[in-house]
Amino acid sequence: MEKKKNSVMNIVCIILPVIAVLCIAIGWIAFSTANPRLMPGPVEVFQRFIRTFTNPVARVILPGHIWASLRRVLIGLIFAWIIGIGLGVLVGWNKKVRAVLGSVLELLRPIPPIAWIPLVIMWFGIGEFSKVFIVFIGTIFGLIVNTSAGIKLVDKINIDVGKIFGGNQRQILTEIVVPTALPSIFAGIRTSVSSGWTTVVAAEMLGAKAGLGSLVTKGWQGNDMALVLVAVISIAAIGALLSVLLSKLEKVVCPWNQI
Amino acid sequence: MESNMKPKLEVKNITKTFFSDKGAFQAVEDVSFQIREGEFLVLLGPGRCGKSVLLNIISGLLEQTSGAVYFNGQEIHGVNPEISMVFQKTAVMPFKTVQQNVELGLKFAGMDKKKRAEISEHYINLVGLKGFEKSYPPQLSGGMKQRVGIARAYATNPEVLIMDEPFGQLDAQTRYSMQNEILRISAEEKKTVLFVTNNIEEACSLGDRIVLLSACPARVKEIYDLNYLPKPRDIVSKEFLDIRQKISDNTDLAL
Repeated sequence: MEKKKNSVMNIVCIILPVIAVLCIAIGWIAFSTANPRLMPGPVEVFQRFIRTFTNPVARVILPGHIWASLRRVLIGLIFAWIIGIGLGVLVGWNKKVRAVLGSVLELLRPIPPIAWIPLVIMWFGIGEFSKVFIVFIGTIFGLIVNTSAGIKLVDKINIDVGKIFGGNQRQILTEIVVPTALPSIFAGIRTSVSSGWTTVVAAEMLGAKAGLGSLVTKGWQGNDMALVLVAVISIAAIGALLSVLLSKLEKVVCPWNQI
Repeated sequence: MESNMKPKLEVKNITKTFFSDKGAFQAVEDVSFQIREGEFLVLLGPGRCGKSVLLNIISGLLEQTSGAVYFNGQEIHGVNPEISMVFQKTAVMPFKTVQQNVELGLKFAGMDKKKRAEISEHYINLVGLKGFEKSYPPQLSGGMKQRVGIARAYATNPEVLIMDEPFGQLDAQTRYSMQNEILRISAEEKKTVLFVTNNIEEACSLGDRIVLLSACPARVKEIYDLNYLPKPRDIVSKEFLDIRQKISDNTDLAL
């Protein structure tokens, strides 16, 4: 009886998301049939999607635009991860570093990534470096704060265990403190990926030869709403894909956290 | 006879006072006792009476205000590799497998992987966790986690083992079975053990001798020799109940 109830529940849980997506699709179709000029329908968007391959925008086909955006995000993020997590460990572990950087971080952290765009463009122009740097500066503070918060979570008794079993400072840090903080660090990485992705698209919208953000702008300026939607759907799909990949990676890196 | 038995560990006139904004707080007052080689000594005292403070001083995690700790006749300061500890809140690392937890001290000492695996296998078997080497602590019960803590402490092969209320967080049933386990393990691997508890029955069933502490600040009230009772002890025998009653009457109530 209980089992049967469970299996019914499982089926419902599988069907509900499908219904939710269907609702969006139906809403889209309804809205686009009612206002064809404001909103292109799925068929039109699909045709526009095909045309991005036969008739490349700015001489770059869609995967090229996706790669242009992804590359910027990845380069910016890799630097932000290395420096941000490193600094976060220092801030969380070392009181002196915390005293120096703590208040600065509290001040810089609430600045939304997009707010850095005008400053960075003023400093470095609108080239490739600026876009990478915007991703970097837009994500690093969150990474530092998440990492240091995770480090501070470490139970004092676990550090005592490290001391009793003869660990030196470095061993206690790498074997006990950092692994304890790993789930928090991972939460920071996930946030950094989604906010990095948002930021790069915004930065590209202000001017770029290639990239999904530039597709949005080109579609907007050319009154090509179908192209805007192709870009927006690609942004959503890549964002979702990154998030799925990250949760898979988290299961590999922090297996104890899934129990 | 007592005089020619060399003490393994000697605690001499230990006093610990904490100073804070609210003033001074004395946790331990002039505590002295000796632990003989191979002895299972129980430190019994009411809850929150400064037992853990005393242990942290002996293990080297805390500095005493005055007094000294002697190990094999030498005064010691700080953490000593020959003194290991089983912690009150188990304190096993949730992110390490059972085997990795047991190997912690060996890894810190720089021992190679193969040798570590041999030693950890022995102690994992000793505490009855064979088959759980690759499990993570969140998958284990409270009693099993403390078995990991015990194996971890034994694995570094210390001369003295300190056990800080190791079964305090377990339910009564598991507690009884763990007490039997610790008797079996300490009979198999002869070590000098300093076992701390607030449970009189636990103290009487495990201790060769019992050091009874007062309520805060901790002072030595009396030392009982239970060597005349062979282990494992029958906890409903007359001798057992008598000594239990005697200690119970002499115990301060915890606040």
